[in-house]
Amino acid sequence: MSESFARAPAPNTQSGRVQPANLADVLERVLDKGIVIAGDIRVNLLDIELLTIKIRLLVASVDKAAEMGIDWWRTDPMLNSRAADDVAKENQQLRRRIEELEGSSARAVGPGDEVQDEEPQSASTSKERERG
Amino acid sequence: MAETGRYLYAVTRDLRPQATADVAGVGGTSVETLAHRGLTALVSTVSLDEFGEEPLRRNLEEMAWLERTARAHDEVVRLAAEHGATAPLRMLTICRDDRAVLDRLDEMYDDLVAALARIEGRHEWSVKLVLPPTSTTSKPPSSTAATPPPAGRAGGGAAYLRAKKAAAQLQRESQDSAARTAQEVYDELSSLAVAGRRLRPQDPRLSGLPGTMTLNAAYLVDDACSDSFTSAVTRLAGSHPEIQVRVDGPWPPYSFIEGDPS
Repeated sequence: MSESFARAPAPNTQSGRVQPANLADVLERVLDKGIVIAGDIRVNLLDIELLTIKIRLLVASVDKAAEMGIDWWRTDPMLNSRAADDVAKENQQLRRRIEELEGSSARAVGPGDEVQDEEPQSASTSKERERG
Repeated sequence: MAETGRYLYAVTRDLRPQATADVAGVGGTSVETLAHRGLTALVSTVSLDEFGEEPLRRNLEEMAWLERTARAHDEVVRLAAEHGATAPLRMLTICRDDRAVLDRLDEMYDDLVAALARIEGRHEWSVKLVLPPTSTTSKPPSSTAATPPPAGRAGGGAAYLRAKKAAAQLQRESQDSAARTAQEVYDELSSLAVAGRRLRPQDPRLSGLPGTMTLNAAYLVDDACSDSFTSAVTRLAGSHPEIQVRVDGPWPPYSFIEGDPS
């Protein structure tokens, strides 16, 4: 096939059946699709909605979820990734770097208008970085 | 002795009971068939210690439990789909006993029969486009950190920010073009399928696919057309080398079981 991805090893395969390769594929289908029949065991609707929201947020945007304080997956060893820490670290480095640069240009030209103008710009840029 | 319930996976037609012999259901249970008016329900007996209302509330919060259960549910559905048209049920449909299951089949009979007719001889295919991580444009701080701007020049900080802005602009443009490609690919493949749907892009943490997913599409494809469908995907992948194209299937028609797919 044309795909350039290595096919993830399929856990739980008990035969040669075609297996959805990733957890996102499985979850978005078994939780969100399929025929709904009201069973006798009522899973608390609020919980299900919460769960669906969590999964959707996770599938859609992890950082958005974290912003909203939904970060349960961060402590989950299966989903825990260093990526979020890396972004925070990168942000810190970026801020430090901007301060350094502002400091050096301030020293070069003396306290002037130009440097002050940069401040709001740098603040918004570092925020954009956080979102991206 | 703990109370038990009957967990429903899917409804199909005339499945031989032996077909489920070597598949494990949710919670490691065995899977049985329950035949009724030409329909066959795939069911397991589950302990309400694990699948009762209270335990479920807790278990659903555990990602590992959720994954295990979701995959087991999916495995049973796929097994049934190999033998013929199969209507997957939403995960965690649990009835008290067989009588209750048969009552539900009676209530839903017309809908189930119509759904099975709709997906007969058809399967679901997934096509994903992923824009690889932009290693050069996304990390301006580390690359510029190695070569500090010339000191003594005014506006070193401003130059740095301009470069950063330009990099962000470049990235935006490449994302716009990726979005256009996604729409084109989606439309072209739609013409080869009975129905298509764009699903939410997946997060790399769940999908294991690094980069930005620009298309997460599901298609309902006639089995007779599956070769020409996958050939088309291959061709499209060839004409878009900048993007990673992934095709998976055939799967049970999860995304097309409800409503009119056409």
